[in-house]
Amino acid sequence: MSQPSSTGSFDVASLVEDVNLRRVAQYALVVFFLGFFLVPLETGIMTAIKTNESVARSLPFAPPVGEGFTLGNIQFALEQLSGSFFNSLIMSIPATIGSVLFGSMAAYGLTMVNWRAQMGMLMLFVVGVFVPYQAVLVPLARFWNNIFPLARMLEPMVASIPFFQGYHAELVPLVITHIAYGIPICTILFRSYYQSLPNSLVEAGKIDGASITKIYRRVILPISKPMFGVVFIYQFTQIYNEFLFAFTLVTGSDAPAAPVTLVLPAIGASTSGIDFGIRMSAAFLAAVPTLILYVAFAEQFAKGLRTEA
Amino acid sequence: MATHDNTEQVTDTTDEAVGWESKLRYFLNSDFVRSAPYWGIPFVLMSIAVYGGIGYNFAISFTDYEGLGTPDYSTLDLEMYTQALSSDAFISAAQNNLVLLVGFTTICLVLGLFLAVLLDHGIRFSEKFQTVYLLPMSLSFVVTAQLWLWMFNVESGILNLVVTTLGFNPVDWLGNPSIALGAVIFALIWQFSGYTMVVYLAGLQSIPDDQFEAARVDGASIIRTYLRIIVPQLKEASVSAAVVLMVFALKAFTFLYALVGRYRPPNGTDILATLMVRRAFKFGEWAYSAAIATMLLIMALGVIGPYLYYQYKQGSL
Amino acid sequence: MGQIQLTGLTKRFGDTVAVDDLSLDIDDEEFLVLVGPSGCGKSTTLRMLAGLETPTSGDIYIGGDHMNYRVPQNRDIAMVFQDYALYPHMTVRQNIRFGLEEEEGYTSAERDERVVEVAETLGIADLLDRKPDELSGGQQQRVALGRAIVRDPEVFLMDEPLSNLDAKLRAEMRTELQNLQDQLAVTTVYVTHNQTEAMTMADRIAVMDGGELQQVASPFECYHEPNNLFVAEFIGEPMINLVRGTRSETAFVGEHFSYPLDADVMESVGDREDLVLGIRPEDIAVVDATTDDTPADDAALGDHELRMDVTVVEPHGDQNVLHLSHPDQPSADDALQAVTEGMHLVTRGDRVTVTIPPDKIHVFDAETGTAVHNRRHDQEADRTQLEQ
Repeated sequence: MSQPSSTGSFDVASLVEDVNLRRVAQYALVVFFLGFFLVPLETGIMTAIKTNESVARSLPFAPPVGEGFTLGNIQFALEQLSGSFFNSLIMSIPATIGSVLFGSMAAYGLTMVNWRAQMGMLMLFVVGVFVPYQAVLVPLARFWNNIFPLARMLEPMVASIPFFQGYHAELVPLVITHIAYGIPICTILFRSYYQSLPNSLVEAGKIDGASITKIYRRVILPISKPMFGVVFIYQFTQIYNEFLFAFTLVTGSDAPAAPVTLVLPAIGASTSGIDFGIRMSAAFLAAVPTLILYVAFAEQFAKGLRTEA
Repeated sequence: MATHDNTEQVTDTTDEAVGWESKLRYFLNSDFVRSAPYWGIPFVLMSIAVYGGIGYNFAISFTDYEGLGTPDYSTLDLEMYTQALSSDAFISAAQNNLVLLVGFTTICLVLGLFLAVLLDHGIRFSEKFQTVYLLPMSLSFVVTAQLWLWMFNVESGILNLVVTTLGFNPVDWLGNPSIALGAVIFALIWQFSGYTMVVYLAGLQSIPDDQFEAARVDGASIIRTYLRIIVPQLKEASVSAAVVLMVFALKAFTFLYALVGRYRPPNGTDILATLMVRRAFKFGEWAYSAAIATMLLIMALGVIGPYLYYQYKQGSL
Repeated sequence: MGQIQLTGLTKRFGDTVAVDDLSLDIDDEEFLVLVGPSGCGKSTTLRMLAGLETPTSGDIYIGGDHMNYRVPQNRDIAMVFQDYALYPHMTVRQNIRFGLEEEEGYTSAERDERVVEVAETLGIADLLDRKPDELSGGQQQRVALGRAIVRDPEVFLMDEPLSNLDAKLRAEMRTELQNLQDQLAVTTVYVTHNQTEAMTMADRIAVMDGGELQQVASPFECYHEPNNLFVAEFIGEPMINLVRGTRSETAFVGEHFSYPLDADVMESVGDREDLVLGIRPEDIAVVDATTDDTPADDAALGDHELRMDVTVVEPHGDQNVLHLSHPDQPSADDALQAVTEGMHLVTRGDRVTVTIPPDKIHVFDAETGTAVHNRRHDQEADRTQLEQ
């Protein structure tokens, strides 16, 4: 007992044995689930770099050998997807910036509103996070197609921008839609962060004679840099991966303005079935941007998910 | 006692006497007004999109609007709702939806909790494993649908490889209507259980370590410690994760569409969301699908309403 | 000019009344301490003065101008927060300069000079380029002060500024703050729950409880002439001794002893039945009763003397705090506490003779808590006595 030992006066030997057995079982399970989560991905990648013949002959998860290896599928998929990659990025980036900025502004503004009104507005924001988008699809389609055909109005203007084609105008309503429906979740994420900051920071700013805008720009924005990282990564992943709005507003997988998610389910399909080498290549390519972000900023991504709950 | 030297010079400006100008100036200078651009612009934009959209959808659901042209609001009735509620397609989609909601949510929660407990204590590089477990969550449903389409492939998919190795006949996972929904749930669990794990891990980490240590000192085994002491404290995490999962189960569309690349998902997996989108965008039955969407919304509100009320009562909003 | 006048100031949060009809005048250059237990409304009062809360009713004047409808930045005030509220991403220099940026009549270079000047006054000139998280608690405190004084406001508002410091530093900063306030001659309203801070720093103390002002007076008056039981109990450490009892023809009658009251005290008591007798611990004289020259039986005790047992002795070095109980009920809670000189050695279990001098007693109305008689003193006489 005189020694600083955490096990104290227990029977150390039996404890070690016990721990070891349990440890082994624990690690075995960890590895099993590692397989569970990685096998579909690994299989996909292996299939992507195999020739059709090799796909048919070898085990799906086995790596290609010799003649069975090809980059042809990936090359082909890349050609098919390159236009839609561009579409996805020029849609996702402004939409992410817009919703993140608005979310931060709304969360900051709400802290200035008296408690009762704040709760009311907050409820509306939270419900906005959970609303099934099906409930707004018909109005959305009608609004952008019939009532306010912004895409058609902007087409000549967009066509005159270098690197852009007229059809890219179809992405403008999509960007606005993503911003509007992204505001609730971004607001909630930022709000939880601003609530963790001491009230006295904003109050000190007021006493110092700073305007509300100055407090936002000089105090709140610099302090919330880490949170901007979290929300940006979370929201970019959401928008890039999104399908339903694009599906509603950009008609058809063969539309030139279609983002990646819209094109992917149609790639490599023919009357004779699906060419899985090509489909897996395309799936892998489509996932690359979010996978890179995820691998680089896994902690931020997890934090975004945690805060959402 | 207090001095009253300056009483006279100020008595003429007591509250009643303060002009409306300075009150107006104060109001215009108040935080509420000056912060209006900050909360106001996003709030209005969001409200138009979400609540304007819902209202518009609600209005259309009472009309007979179909095909091209414009909705006619002169005769409003509940016809679309009665039509939907009495159609076999709607009822079977609702049933499928219920199975998806209950099965998917329950298994995700159980598996997520299991993974969280597995990684919570005594694992080296636990964070790296968490990152891998959560990885499917960063993928688009469109991508996961492709991966699982290949996994479920009848001739060369891995699942059938396992099945035939064990000596059974290959299974048509997505083609057999009585299995397809189970296969879909399985794939969605692959994608979402990392999410519930992360939520539970956050809950576990907020429980102070001394509770583990106290239980250790009391001689409780690790498993007992978790079952009796730790898990009951994860109620909040379970509730919020369950809400997210259930709402997702109601609106899940993308995965099912992307599995086959067409409006009709594999037989036996048609749910309200796919039925609604199909009726609207394939057949142009706008009013009918608006009615389905409204019912979907009411179900979602049935899940989040009590949750929000509970959160509000807890003061944790 | 920084005189402050509050009239009928009331703040309600829903059903709870945080501040109830508070009226208070504060002189220019005065150091006023608002003191009271937590939840007494002192911080809310300060925040209304600052413009961070809107009063439900009542008026606020600073320098004779009506303030109710002015936002904080137009009130010519500065505030020091309990947690200092330093901007974590800015250097000390930027923190201090931030408030100055909105002040008119400075060029950029003058602002920089002013920051340095203030930092020198506070002895933090060498820390100007550090971030707040690189500073000790005391240094952060000084930066918060610097941020307040840099704008040269008419009024300083301080919300428990010393409560996050350790005891030694707190005592140091207390003196420093007083000197600073003297030097700058700025009206200061200082909120604390710590009665020592209130006593040592204030020109006048405003004691609050339950949203109501209990007494506004100099520390001397609050201590020796409390308005009511609450003030008597709140001010003073160790706490005043209070004994509940009733009035007889010529005496106060408690459970264990009766204490004759002088005619003038009886007169102020009038026909009140239930009384509370108060005596400060240091005003109680304690003599060891085991020595030979003390009378053996209680009958020989003087009118104002009691025979008691010592239950606990707390030595503080300079003084001893004695917990005393009545011999016939030793298990009861301490009946009295007395402070004796540090060299006056008494041990636990000793029997002592306790004298309560009649000119040092306070008498309160047990029902309303109002003081009906306070200890006799003559400020002039006290002072001359000191000088002799």
